[in-house]
Amino acid sequence: MNSTSARFVPSKRMGICEPMHQMAMWDFKGNNFLETSPPSMFEIETNLDNLSEDTSHGTVGPSSKYDQEASKSDDKVRRRLAQNREAARKSRLRKKAYVQQLESSKLRLIQLEQELHRTRLQQGQYVGGGIDTSQLGYSETTNPGIATFEMEYGQWVEEQNRQISELRSALNSDMGDMELHIFVDCGMRHYSDLFTMKATAAKADVFHIISGMWKTSAERFFLWIAGFRPSELLKILMPNLEPLTEQQRLDVSNLRQSCQQAEDALSQGMEKLHYILAETIAEGQLGEGNYLHQIGSTIDKFEALARFVVQADHLRQETLQQIYRILSTRQAAQGLLAMGEYLQRLRTLSSCWSSRPTEQT
Amino acid sequence: SDRLPTAGGSAAPPPENSNSTVRELVAENSVVVFARKGCCMCHVVKLLLHGHGVNPTIVDIDEQNEAGIKNDLSRILGGGGVDGANSGNSAAVPQFPAVFMGGELFGGLEEIMGAHISGELVPRLREARALWL
Repeated sequence: MNSTSARFVPSKRMGICEPMHQMAMWDFKGNNFLETSPPSMFEIETNLDNLSEDTSHGTVGPSSKYDQEASKSDDKVRRRLAQNREAARKSRLRKKAYVQQLESSKLRLIQLEQELHRTRLQQGQYVGGGIDTSQLGYSETTNPGIATFEMEYGQWVEEQNRQISELRSALNSDMGDMELHIFVDCGMRHYSDLFTMKATAAKADVFHIISGMWKTSAERFFLWIAGFRPSELLKILMPNLEPLTEQQRLDVSNLRQSCQQAEDALSQGMEKLHYILAETIAEGQLGEGNYLHQIGSTIDKFEALARFVVQADHLRQETLQQIYRILSTRQAAQGLLAMGEYLQRLRTLSSCWSSRPTEQT
Repeated sequence: SDRLPTAGGSAAPPPENSNSTVRELVAENSVVVFARKGCCMCHVVKLLLHGHGVNPTIVDIDEQNEAGIKNDLSRILGGGGVDGANSGNSAAVPQFPAVFMGGELFGGLEEIMGAHISGELVPRLREARALWL
């Protein structure tokens, strides 16, 4: 790799090595990656001239050079060596600058690719898929807000699958933290996008969201207020984040406990809402046949349901952000991959289950 | 309809009129929660705070006192306020439930939960003298 290094070549090899040394520098510069600076070309020519000058003084053999007492020749040699060293040093600096430029361009490219994906997604350029249409309820055809959500969610899942593959390759390669960081940020933002979509859809039809109609059957089974249960997820993730430091282990454990407390509080709040809604719709004498009032006052309270979905998603978001703070970049990438694959397994489980051969009765 | 029994927490009588009563409440109690009667979100806030051993002062908001309280709160938050630090806040009244801590508006359920997860809640509660440990 160091063909351009200006190691001080031992004197006895001077005559032989120097021309090669010059050649190596020439090659590198000749490639035109860098601004080929005329001075350096000049340097080489000068050096070559010096070289040819010197050889005219005697043979290339070691003894003849050092037998020369003439200080003029020694000076020339020293000057030439100094020039070579200088040229080599400059060459190294240019090479370093070039490599740094390459690396930051690479990072920028990855960033741009991710943004492009995201933009395409938002503009609906990806064909939506991955929705098991048998899961869609009637409201999908009558509610435009829900129809939009279902389409966007389909695209979200496709993008998710793509990101999972990308993360897997990235972690298996020798990618550095700076690049991994971009993928991690992307993954975090992707979940953030989902929560935003859900909040909008909950306003359109909170029951569709809260019932998990938009998810596959296995995911629905594990549903907690329209999504995953943060403490459950942490429990699943932990073994996949090893090795963890003792501090990290403690932090994750505390986070899990905080999640459980928040989940319990939200669950109890939901139960209270359940109770209130049940009471409101059943208010008054059942059997009279006139219940518009009860319907009205119950519908008024549905807004609270949407707020619960938003709060549960907020808890999920906060949990993800907190775990991001606790982990290193690499661990966070591993965590996102683990989480992504876990949800992918549930989706695959659902489609395998729903496409199993059933007995005719 | 009966409310579910609340787990602890003192319910202050809804302040009838004066700005100073709401102002006093906020100034004299380390944690005050303003919430509509029967609000389920408020229930969640209470549970989270109780989990930390805090007994917040709950101010029940109903149709009669809502306008008055909103007025008082916007004056507290808008200009001058209970302590000068709030003069930067907009005069808009927060969504309910609204939690005041150490005389300042802390936020709603979202802020409480966020602080609970990030670990910031306990230090803030200590600052507001709501915790003794």
